[in-house]
Amino acid sequence: MAYAFLIDTTLCTACRGCQVACKQWHDLPAETTSNRGSFQNPADLSFGTYKLVRMREKVIDKRLQWLFFPDQCRHCIEAPCLETAGDPSAIYQDGDTGAILYTAETRNLLTTEIIESCPYYIPRAADDGTLAKCDMCNDRVHNGLKPACVTTCPTGSMQFGERDEILTLADRHLQMAKKRYPKASLLDPDDVNVIYLVAYPPDLYHEFAVAAAGRSDMTRQMALRKMVRPLVHLGSRLV
Amino acid sequence: MQISRRKFMQLTGATAAGLTVSRLGFDLTPIKAHAQMLKTQYAKETTTICCYCAVGCGAIVHTSKQGDGRVINIEGDPDHVINRGSLCSKGASLRQLVENENRLTEPMYRAPHAKEWRTVSWDWALEQIAQRIKATRDTSFEAKNSKGQVVNRTRAIASVGSAALDNEECWTYQALLRSLGLVYIEHQARI
Amino acid sequence: MTNHWIDIQNSDCILIMGSNAAENHPVSFKYVAAAQQKGATLISVDPRFTRTSSKADIYAPLRSGTDIAFLGGMIKYILDNKLYHEEYVAEYTNASFIVKKSYSFKNGLFSGYEKTPEGPGLGKYDKSQWGFETDANGVPKMDPSLAHRRSVFQLLKTHFKRYTPAVVSKITGTPEADLLKVYKAYCATGKRGQAGTIMYAMGWTQHTTGTQNIRTMAIIQLLLGNMGVAGGGVNALRGESNVQGSTDHCLLWHIWPGYLKTPRASNVDLAAYNGKWTPKSSDLLSANWWQNYPKYSVSLLKSFFGGDATAANDFGYSWLPKVDDDKGYSWFDLFDAMYKKQVKGFLAWGQNPACSGSNAGKNREAMANLEWMVNVNLFDNETGSFWKGPGMDPAKIATEVFMLPAAAFAEKEGSVTNSGRWMQWRYQGPKPLGNSRPDGDIILELGHKIKAAYAGSGVFPEPIRALKWDYATDHAFDAHKVAKEINGYFTKDVTIKDKLYKAGTLVPSFAFLQADGSTSSGNWLYCNSYTEKGNMAARRGQKDAVNGIGLYPEFSWCWPVNRRILYNRASVDAKGQPWDAKDWVIRFAGNKADGKWTSRKWLGDVPDGGWYPLANPDGSRREDARYAFIMRKHGHAQIYGPGRADGPFPEHYEPLECPVEKNFLNPQMVNPTAALYTTDADSYATCDPRYPYVASTYRVTEHWQTGLMTRTQPWLLEMHPQMFVELSPELAELKGIQNGERVMVSSARGKVECSAVVSKRLTPFKVGGLTVHQVGLPWHYGWRWPASGNEESANLLTPPAGDPNTRIPETKAFMVNVAKL
Repeated sequence: MAYAFLIDTTLCTACRGCQVACKQWHDLPAETTSNRGSFQNPADLSFGTYKLVRMREKVIDKRLQWLFFPDQCRHCIEAPCLETAGDPSAIYQDGDTGAILYTAETRNLLTTEIIESCPYYIPRAADDGTLAKCDMCNDRVHNGLKPACVTTCPTGSMQFGERDEILTLADRHLQMAKKRYPKASLLDPDDVNVIYLVAYPPDLYHEFAVAAAGRSDMTRQMALRKMVRPLVHLGSRLV
Repeated sequence: MQISRRKFMQLTGATAAGLTVSRLGFDLTPIKAHAQMLKTQYAKETTTICCYCAVGCGAIVHTSKQGDGRVINIEGDPDHVINRGSLCSKGASLRQLVENENRLTEPMYRAPHAKEWRTVSWDWALEQIAQRIKATRDTSFEAKNSKGQVVNRTRAIASVGSAALDNEECWTYQALLRSLGLVYIEHQARI
Repeated sequence: MTNHWIDIQNSDCILIMGSNAAENHPVSFKYVAAAQQKGATLISVDPRFTRTSSKADIYAPLRSGTDIAFLGGMIKYILDNKLYHEEYVAEYTNASFIVKKSYSFKNGLFSGYEKTPEGPGLGKYDKSQWGFETDANGVPKMDPSLAHRRSVFQLLKTHFKRYTPAVVSKITGTPEADLLKVYKAYCATGKRGQAGTIMYAMGWTQHTTGTQNIRTMAIIQLLLGNMGVAGGGVNALRGESNVQGSTDHCLLWHIWPGYLKTPRASNVDLAAYNGKWTPKSSDLLSANWWQNYPKYSVSLLKSFFGGDATAANDFGYSWLPKVDDDKGYSWFDLFDAMYKKQVKGFLAWGQNPACSGSNAGKNREAMANLEWMVNVNLFDNETGSFWKGPGMDPAKIATEVFMLPAAAFAEKEGSVTNSGRWMQWRYQGPKPLGNSRPDGDIILELGHKIKAAYAGSGVFPEPIRALKWDYATDHAFDAHKVAKEINGYFTKDVTIKDKLYKAGTLVPSFAFLQADGSTSSGNWLYCNSYTEKGNMAARRGQKDAVNGIGLYPEFSWCWPVNRRILYNRASVDAKGQPWDAKDWVIRFAGNKADGKWTSRKWLGDVPDGGWYPLANPDGSRREDARYAFIMRKHGHAQIYGPGRADGPFPEHYEPLECPVEKNFLNPQMVNPTAALYTTDADSYATCDPRYPYVASTYRVTEHWQTGLMTRTQPWLLEMHPQMFVELSPELAELKGIQNGERVMVSSARGKVECSAVVSKRLTPFKVGGLTVHQVGLPWHYGWRWPASGNEESANLLTPPAGDPNTRIPETKAFMVNVAKL
């Protein structure tokens, strides 16, 4: 059984409860930051920051929009990082939840290769090369709780559940969002288990909001796999 | 304290602890030990209300039953009808407020002209404070004002605070201040 | 809040103005989002484009300090376009009352103005000139047709005639098109069955016109029929977990628990006190609920002094302090007195005035004049350690300071009251950290030591000795005992309505309180919160109202008497039938015969009094009914408010410090009754080229108040690590400031180093043909934390002026300069 997230950015107020709840549950340390002229902080994901609300100010159709994008691992259905690693002691998928999980063994992988294999530029390395990223709060999920970020989200921007239910919910949210934002779309819903709903073109939110096809990182093997991906995953979209 | 109902997600085939790991047959040592058992499993659970803004969100406090008996997790209370489990960034950070190395843990005293604090006992501190209050009150007490009206007050002692106190503490505190004759009684609601 | 958080979901139009709910009350957006998903319109009016604005259907910018102009224009729009709820206005408000001929408004001044050179007020009014014409019994004359020339309704029209969109836009800097978009969307809620709500906070209170900002909106809500209904109300979003409770229990100079008055020196005895503050109405249709005042005051005195409070000694009335008539003892006055060395001892209990007070530099200097200070807190702060703060020389400061470590919220048991008036019980998780103690234990122990000190000799020891102080169980503060004291109990066997209540029995509700000493109650408003049925605040019932409007009457407890929506008698028409058939709050469901109600029965929320509706099904009026606004002497909501210090109607005045040389609505520049302080530490500068930019202080989601409970937390500091100033790209270019660089912000009071956040979310305003720049500053920082010591409080910049009614400081609109370092 795979689980999935829906992140409806049209409902996100950037309260950043998710960003802190993630650190709280995982006992992750705070980073030493400075004010760089933005509310977004830290500047980027890191070995100690699995979830980051990206904030951008864009003028769209002559109206200012403050776009929020709670960035995290997409838990790809066919995860390029997992394929690239080829070492289930370092990167594996929990068959029960669909979570893509990193272990301490990632320090023995070619760090750069793994990071570059990610179409969403998510994993980050510690000084010793160990990699880290969102683990879907796999421990919580196994015990019937939702991930910490989803539990804490005030507006319902973040949802979590069985993938089929989330796909249905995503369509419902999309229909609702389209009334206010005609160009609203779901990002890579067939490929990932963390599905974003955005109101405007995704590149306005974040460079890697959608899979960066142009990223040289995707190995040839991965690109091929993507092309011949079994239809079963598409099938779930049709429910 | 009983939690009436916990909204668990429906899990098909709930997994036994550690199953996933063992099935793979590898020694998977995660970055942070992702034991499939929740860290909160054997903790004491109490409900509380967030101490920040006045929405009044419910939270669950997980206190360790072992060792130092400190808080190991605070998260939103899913049965609270206002927040339904959600908390903002401040609320999500409540544990770090309670378990914070910057907190004061001992009464301290700064003598006139001193450059440093020194740690003192509670009994000494409260005794000294009571004596200061009495001395200041007794020398400044006004039985009558300049018009000759009975006022029975002191304007030489002032108090500010606090919206951070519980109701019962607020009430008790104001009763004490008023019995002492204070009129300068203010708190956050004024600013 | 007249309504409560969940109720926001019932709104058809949500105006967020004077607050930034998405950032400062983030979970409220659960209900804002829910309302939007049901089709509600969200309007954000703010000088800055905020996280709230990011979710709004309509955003309109306005220059800080011009809310009355903005909203005054809305009143005119409602009246010009007849968008008001006529039946509601005529039935429930004082629009029909006839005002005395002595009322006038000319050149920006109401009648009865006199300049007072003494005291912090610029001037004051003789309010008696604003009264109503009354009949021989003192009941106001009314004209239900609203046509009388001197009816409140007609005076309102005249008063706001000047607030045309062109003039309003010239003042606020809001483009006319945006004004009209807001007016149109919001005023659509004047239709029967439509509800509009206002979510406001310090963005409205922290002005020299703070009270009148809120009055203007209250007038709008009354005109549109939005008071008392689901999804409506006037909703102050209170900022601290128990600021509602601490206000209800009156840790404030001017009120006693339950909003009773602090006695004035002229209230020479209990009879004089009760006589002065108990309103009297001869109108049989007016409930005039405050007629019960003596029951509440005597019950309060009993809770203070227990058995020592007797009828023979006026229940200890004379033991309690009196304030001089017409003198203020507010925050500003307190620190003014401290600065003038009149205050010797100071208790800073769970508050950080070195950073939180306006013109905080004066507070810090004032603290050096103290003989002693007690600072109770979770963390060392800028108040307790003021003597080693910037610019201080410890060797020269003689103040003794006692710093006491308090336990955190999760380490003790007790209740807090949220903004929706819900009293909620919390339990103890861990024990207090280290040697810290719950505030209750500290208060109790200190009280015992003071009592012991007065056991022998002392000046006027009676009130201290008589103070009831039996709130411990096993030597620890027992919140349950105090909660019961607050609720109240019978002091002797009493029979009420044929039922015997034994001495010691908890009082079921405030309707049972007595003025003869047979009941004790620490706060009549909380009477019903802890009864023989148990601790109502601890309830966790999940059942909602039958029509699902989110009342949850069995979850926690709410004052008064668990009424979830105040003024709910105005949510129904004269016959007791709801304006809104779907989201109704209460409805009358008594039996009827021959066109008349024959039995009493209300459904839904606890009604604001259980009397019959004003009219029978056949439209005939009943004599056993009561007007809807039961707390008002005359039973009607006040469109015309003759009790305010600065006028019965709101009027636009410029902030004390403003960027314009002229008030475009009247010749009176600033509020003629504003409170203003004048020591050498109280400078201000208006239209001063040294300080050309408007500034406003505010909060962000990630920090809280002075930041003491957030900038000590690494996770929160990570997101907003440094003091900053937000400014527009236009101003940044003008000053050659790069995004992210450190700059200096200065005012007539002080200067603060900030990181520049250059953002399109701020735009310059066109005000009367001039370009006006506005900047924004959070007030979450102070030198003690973070450890760098470089981040300081925005309140070193804020002005020494306040609202004449409340003396809340004008920290939302003042003038600064911004310069590169």
